[in-house]
This record gives sequence, structure tokens and C-alpha cells, in this order.
Amino acid sequence: MFVLLNHLQRLRRATPPSPVRARGSLAVRHVDAGSCNGCEHELAAATNPFYDLQQYGLNVVASPRHADVLLVTGAITTRMAGPLRTAYEAMPEPRLVAALGDCALGCNLLGDQAELAGPLEAILPVDLRIPGCPPTPKAIAQALTAALHRLATD
Amino acid sequence: MSTPRDASGRMPGVAEIRAVPAAAWRRACLDAHAHGERFGGLFSHLPASGPPRLRAVFSTPAGERLITCEATEGAVETIVDVIPAAGWDEREAHDLHAISFIGHEPLRPLIDHHAPLEAWTVPTVGEDVHQVAVGPIHAGVIESGHFRFHVVGERILHLDVRLSYKRRGLETAAAGRSLGDGIAYAQRACAACAVTNTVAYAQACEAALGLQPDDHLRRARTVLLELERVYNHLNDISAICAGVGFAPGAMAYAALKERAQRLNERLAWHRFLFDTVSVGRSAISFDRQEAADARRELAAIGQEHQLVWRDLRFVSSLQERLEGVATLSAADAERLGAVGPAARASGLRDDHRIHSPHLSYSGFSVAVAEAASGDVAARTNQRALELHQSLELLDDLLTQPLEPGTVRRCGEEASTAVGRVESPRGVTVCVVVREGDRLAALHLRTGSYANWPVLAHAVVGELLPDFPLINKSFELCYACADR
Ligand code: SF4
Repeated sequence: MFVLLNHLQRLRRATPPSPVRARGSLAVRHVDAGSCNGCEHELAAATNPFYDLQQYGLNVVASPRHADVLLVTGAITTRMAGPLRTAYEAMPEPRLVAALGDCALGCNLLGDQAELAGPLEAILPVDLRIPGCPPTPKAIAQALTAALHRLATD
Repeated sequence: MSTPRDASGRMPGVAEIRAVPAAAWRRACLDAHAHGERFGGLFSHLPASGPPRLRAVFSTPAGERLITCEATEGAVETIVDVIPAAGWDEREAHDLHAISFIGHEPLRPLIDHHAPLEAWTVPTVGEDVHQVAVGPIHAGVIESGHFRFHVVGERILHLDVRLSYKRRGLETAAAGRSLGDGIAYAQRACAACAVTNTVAYAQACEAALGLQPDDHLRRARTVLLELERVYNHLNDISAICAGVGFAPGAMAYAALKERAQRLNERLAWHRFLFDTVSVGRSAISFDRQEAADARRELAAIGQEHQLVWRDLRFVSSLQERLEGVATLSAADAERLGAVGPAARASGLRDDHRIHSPHLSYSGFSVAVAEAASGDVAARTNQRALELHQSLELLDDLLTQPLEPGTVRRCGEEASTAVGRVESPRGVTVCVVVREGDRLAALHLRTGSYANWPVLAHAVVGELLPDFPLINKSFELCYACADR
């Protein structure tokens, strides 16, 4: 246990802090609407000790009712369009919608037209776009901290 | 290096096709099973004209066998009573193409989401029995899927898994594409298994075209497959620690996974190794210097892992949460067709890497722990064991630079071929049916697809709050299964 904590402490010291300091916070609810799981891996990675999204006031929350931002990944399948709308409707206002990854943005979608309802824009108003296949954790962290910064200084 | 042929002189991967009338379907499948041939998937396909077609894949040490039939009357006899691993396959074929499997009763809907609750769940009744519905949207950063637990108090009596929320129809969309373009559809199925799925696809195409990879190509693909395994296993150990709320372990392994993915990016320009596999050629090469750098980084990751792992072994609050949870017996693993680390953690000596003549696994032996007790602890230990093995393999594979690989002609062309590759979650089967240079049909049955019903079996009798942990110990992809 001691080695483990020491190890993490070393890692923390070795990771350069982001120039953006936390002002305020954003609660993020993620919805996978038909991804290949790459975007999920990278979103989760953005909370690892190298990027540490939490220290900038960004938290992934368990319920849309606690969320400021709905972060959507994937091609938006016909089967997920309904649950996605339900999650959006459950959010308190004001609320933001972010499209994470090329699929959610409608770029280079693959699949059977009968199974796809996307892109996200066709379903919900999109406020924030994070391109990439998948976007790197760094890009995710930067896009989200920049959005928080904009909101805090508006 | 020449490729061993099977007794009939077929290339590895080219399937011996046995077309039977619908009435003989069951007999043919059960005969194969009785001869010790291993079930690798059952697929239905609707051709442009004519009745739906069924295909069942079996493998023998000597090669691949494909049993096919036209479901002329829309029905065949089931095989699920003898081969329970075909349960999901038959349910899916019924939902997709309305094929009935006589004797599979009730034939519950699997991917048909319009079916009423009573149709797709197993009725579970008794005093205080109630249902707990979870998903499709989960509390963390997790893929979408629905679980219906039948419980008494906290005890799980039964679990119905309903996936397919992420169904993108990739196989349908791939039909009609050129063989070269089709690989994008196999890759899109799943990021965490992208290399496995694309290598399985490429191997099937190459076998169908009468081509075999040269040594460089074999080595390139083996390096990629092992890099994929390394970051996945690191991820899984992290996830298991997170599953019991042990943050220091979760974070230490998340950091190791990050290092492994950064190495992927340095070696192959992508953190998930996307677009590194193509049909008929290799898309990566590296010089002596790059290989040496990669070896050094992998050795550092290995050392760090050893250090952290040793520490974890002494955290009793972690270990005691893993032991004796969701034990899968070897007999059940075998009967249900479990694959991958989950099967090996129950003591099955089964790893497709030993049957991979088109990859560089000579001298490979299956790693199974002495105490393969089949519980969450065993599945965790199995990851560490395999991680060690993969790091050694990579250390060996990276002693030389890698030149661009290619294929050479070595056999007849065939219409149908099978690719099989051991993914971080178990063997993945890819069937390619071609018409000229076009895909007539693509079928992908991943290790996750094989193991989802096994997971549902393993949670019976366990506590509902342990489900996230048990789930993480199998760490199955939803995207792979949904396609
Ligand atoms: S954008 Fe890329 S990584 Fe993200 S879900 Fe789509 S295919 Fe997967």
C-alpha cells in the first residue's frame, strides 16, 4: 500500500499542471449512444493521473439530474435515440450537449442506415464539438476545461 | 516458412463446406460436435434472393468446417440442448430472419427490442422475488446495455442480459463492399479489440484468396495483437480495483495503461492501433532504434506492474473482496463455451494462440495458474499472468527491426474462409464469404459474444452490489457483441 501511494505521488509530481485553473465546476453525464467503445476508453482516461480532469472542476456524475453537460458518444443508433432523449429531458436547465468523437459528429459513420438515427445534431441541440476518432484524453480535457473557462468568464 | 496443410490439403482458414438440407442440419452439427470439433458460432444470412441461409462453424485441430443449410421452411431443429454455447446465436438468428429452432423452447427474443418483457425474460417467481432493471444508460462511463436482475433481497436468482442497444448493423453494411474496404467494418465493431477483429478479418480474406503472410507480416500482426492485450489487461486490472472502490490500485493501473497506449501511438500512430492491419500487407514497420525504444518502455511498464502488483497482493481489503466471488467451474466453462482469460481462470487450457500458424507464436504455451479457482480473484490473477507472458513475447518480437510485410500465393482461391484470433477476451471468429472481390457476407463472433451468457450464469447466487465487480472481472465489450 505504501509503495502504491508513493508511486502515485511520484506520478502526480511528474505530470505538468494544466495552465487553466479551476473556476467553478461542471457536472458531466456521459451517454454511449452507439460507440465502438474507443471514446469511452478515452473519456475514462481523461480522469487518469496524467490528465486528472477532476482537479479542474470536471466531474462525471451518475445521473442526468445532477448534470450540466450531456456528453454523447457514438453513432446514435435507433435503439439509443429514445434513452438519449430521456436522459436529456431529465437534466435541469440550463444544460449543454457535447458531441464527443467523430461518430457523434456524423463524420465517417459506418453501419446500416436502418439502424442509425444520428448524427447527434439530428436529435439534440449540440453546444460543444470534440472531434477525433477517438479524441485523445488530452483533447477531451482541453475541450472541457476550455468550455468551463468560457462559462466562468462569460 | 511454409504453412502446414491439413489432411485434406486445404490451407489453414479455408473451410470445408458441408451443405446439408434443412432436415439434416441438426444431425450434421451434432456429428461434428461428437467428433470433438469445437463450436465457433452459428450465423444466419439473408441472400439477395432465396431463403435465409444458416452457417455453423466448427473447428478441428486440422482445420475449419462450415455446415450450411437453406432454411427453406423457415425452421430447423435446435442444437442448443447438446451445444448450449449456441443459445444466443439461435435467438439472434430467429430475431433477424425469423428462423425457428424447433426444440429450443421458449426461444426468447435476444435483439428484438419490441418484444414485451415477459417474452424475453425468464419468469422467476417465489416469495419476495422482485426485478431490478439497470440500464441501458449506466452510472459511470460505461457502454450501453440493459440488465434485468431477478433478486431476493440482495441475492441474484437470475439475470437476463439485453444488449444490442449499440447495434449499428456493421455486418449488413459491409456486404457488397470490396474485400479491402470491408476491414473498416470489422475495425469499427470495437476499439478495444480493433487489432484482433481486423487480423481475424484479414486472415479470412487472405485464406479465401489463396494467400499467406510472409514472416514480416506475421511478426507485425503478432506485435500488434500483443500490444492490444497489454493495454487491455492493464485496463482490466484497473477496472477490477475500481469495482471494489480501491482507488490507489485503479489509478496505478490506469497510469500504466496510459503509458502502454502512448507507446502504441509512438509505434503505430494510434492509441488503439487503428488502421494498422490491412488485407494482404502490413501497415507498420519500425527500425532498430524504434524497436529498442519500445522494448525499453515495455520493460519499464513490466517493472512498474510487478511493483504495484506485489503491493496489491498484500492489500487484504482488496483480496478478500475478490476471493470466492462468482466462481465459474471448469465444467460450466467448458459446457457453456467460455473463452479467453475467463475460461483459463477456471482451469481450461484453451488459448487460440497455440493454433495460429499465420502468426509468430511458435513455442507458445498456454498460461494457466495452479490455483485456477474460477472466481474473481482467479480472473484477476490470470490477467497478471498473461500480462507477464505478453511482455515477454513482445520483448522477444522486438529484438529485430520490422520491415513492411506482404503475402504470397500458396493455394487455390475459395469462396468461404474463417479467421480465428485470440483477443484479450477470448477467441474471435470471423467468417468471410466472397463473390469475386466483393463481400457476400461477413460474420463476426467475438470473445465477448461467447462470454456474455457465461457471465449471466456466473452471477447466479451472488450479491447484486457485487455485479459491477463480477462484470469487470470478465470485462466484456458491448460494442463487439452488438456490432
Ligand atoms: S469516434 Fe471513433 S472511437 Fe469514437 S465511437 Fe466513433 S469510431 Fe469509435
